[in-house]
Amino acid sequence: MLEIAIGIMLCGCALGAGIAMIAGIGPGIGEGNAVAKACEAIGRQPESKSAVTSTLIMGCALAETTGLYALVIALLLILLAPGRFVDVLMNAVG
Amino acid sequence: MQSLDIISINIWQIVVSLLNLVILFFIVKKVLFEPVKKMIAEREAMAQSIITEANETLDQAKEQKTLYDTKIAAAHDEADAIIKKAVARADHRSDVIIENAQEKADGILRQAKIDAELEQKKAEEGIRREIVDLSSVLTKKMLKREINEADHREMIDEFLQDIGEIS
Amino acid sequence: MQYKKAGTEFKLVDAMLVIMMIVPIVLAILMKVLFIPVGEGIEITGAHVYTVLNMPVSDLPISEAQVNSLAVLISILFLCLYMTHGIRAHVYTKRAVLAEWAVEKIEGLVKENMGDYFMGFAPFIGAILLLSAFSSLSSLVGLFAPTSDLNVVAGWAILVFILITYYKLKCGPWYYIKGFMEPIPLMLPMNIIGEIATPVSMTLRHYGNILSGTVISILLASALQAASNLVFGNLPGILGSFPFFRVGIPAVLSIYFDLFSGCLQAFIFSMLTMLYVSTSFPMEEYMRRKSLKEKNN
Repeated sequence: MLEIAIGIMLCGCALGAGIAMIAGIGPGIGEGNAVAKACEAIGRQPESKSAVTSTLIMGCALAETTGLYALVIALLLILLAPGRFVDVLMNAVG
Repeated sequence: MQSLDIISINIWQIVVSLLNLVILFFIVKKVLFEPVKKMIAEREAMAQSIITEANETLDQAKEQKTLYDTKIAAAHDEADAIIKKAVARADHRSDVIIENAQEKADGILRQAKIDAELEQKKAEEGIRREIVDLSSVLTKKMLKREINEADHREMIDEFLQDIGEIS
Repeated sequence: MQYKKAGTEFKLVDAMLVIMMIVPIVLAILMKVLFIPVGEGIEITGAHVYTVLNMPVSDLPISEAQVNSLAVLISILFLCLYMTHGIRAHVYTKRAVLAEWAVEKIEGLVKENMGDYFMGFAPFIGAILLLSAFSSLSSLVGLFAPTSDLNVVAGWAILVFILITYYKLKCGPWYYIKGFMEPIPLMLPMNIIGEIATPVSMTLRHYGNILSGTVISILLASALQAASNLVFGNLPGILGSFPFFRVGIPAVLSIYFDLFSGCLQAFIFSMLTMLYVSTSFPMEEYMRRKSLKEKNN
């Protein structure tokens, strides 16, 4: 019984980590949009390339934050959560 | 040896790293920024002093240039005056020389004329005498028998006097 | 202009500074080599703990991150000393030019993003840039990058948060509290969460970027190890266990994750610091109050 419970728990953690990384779609789309617009801007005004590039990198780094939150959650779920949850389960079982 | 969890929050670690940053702020301020800024200020002061010096020198140079310009203009005038004077003097002298030469030439010409006249007179005299001698010889030969010599001579002299007056 | 050749004493001090610049890093590497056992296989863990100091509230574990960040700090101190050693107005050495360039760049950045009022922030921004970049780059020599430890970056972000709050409080506590009630008092919880989200997001951004690089590097290394074992596993002796694929290939990724990402995150962290601090300061209100106070006096 306990083994099954631990198995479900680990399965949930792994699934949760995988699902959390769906958040990677968001920054992907956002950064893609940003780069596309930046390319357009550079095409319109090639002389402003350096300013656009620095702003783009800045914006991309900001947009990446949500993806990084997801990554941190996924890492927590994979590396930290199973141990904690098993402890909690053991305490509950006694 | 244990290791920390991949995400672990420890208040003292946070405080230590915060203090690290504060310390580094003072380090960067004292060690990097202040000497560099001091150096920049020093260099600016140096550049400023060089610029002011250069400006002063430029002003001096301009002053001197105007001075020299006026001097050169004055020198030009002086040179012109000197040349004019010299030309005038030379003209005068040449005039005098030409005059002298003219006079000398005139004198020579006059002398030559006088000499020529004298010569002519001499020659005339000579010719007359010869003519007299010739004619006297001729007449003597012609009229040897008719008239005495004294009469003839008188006559021929008269004749010759006439010729001389005519000529 | 007279030019004096550097004397022996000067060169000696120079050499001393360079040595002192390298020594902390070497010591950190030595500590890692001596005290940390080689783990079996490849594992994703946090910083190793050398010793634990007993402190009130909670113990302070002296971990790799602490030691390395201290090493980086000392190294930067001697780097700064070396850069400005013998700096004079009429001597143009390469390092003096470099130091001047760095100082002017940082001041230009601060001036551009924060305005003239915050020019005193230039050394702080320089310190963040140097510490963050050098911490991230210390993974190039095999050290545990201090920036991939959450606590280190959290310390910096909390310092930035303190600065933000200090500048917000410049117009008095009442004005500060009123700022949370805008545009309507109902937004109070959202505003408080937004306020707290600033340091959290700054921390997680920096930490997550560096950590994701480390994690991906480790995953790639283990994948390459497995592939290498699969392909060359049948070779006899040490050749069979030698991970051929791990030579060279991770270096390409390291260029992005260690060099580019490290420098970029340092830049972004300092940029965000500048933006947050300068936008948090209600300049017009402060100037208005100041002029009012001067009028009353």
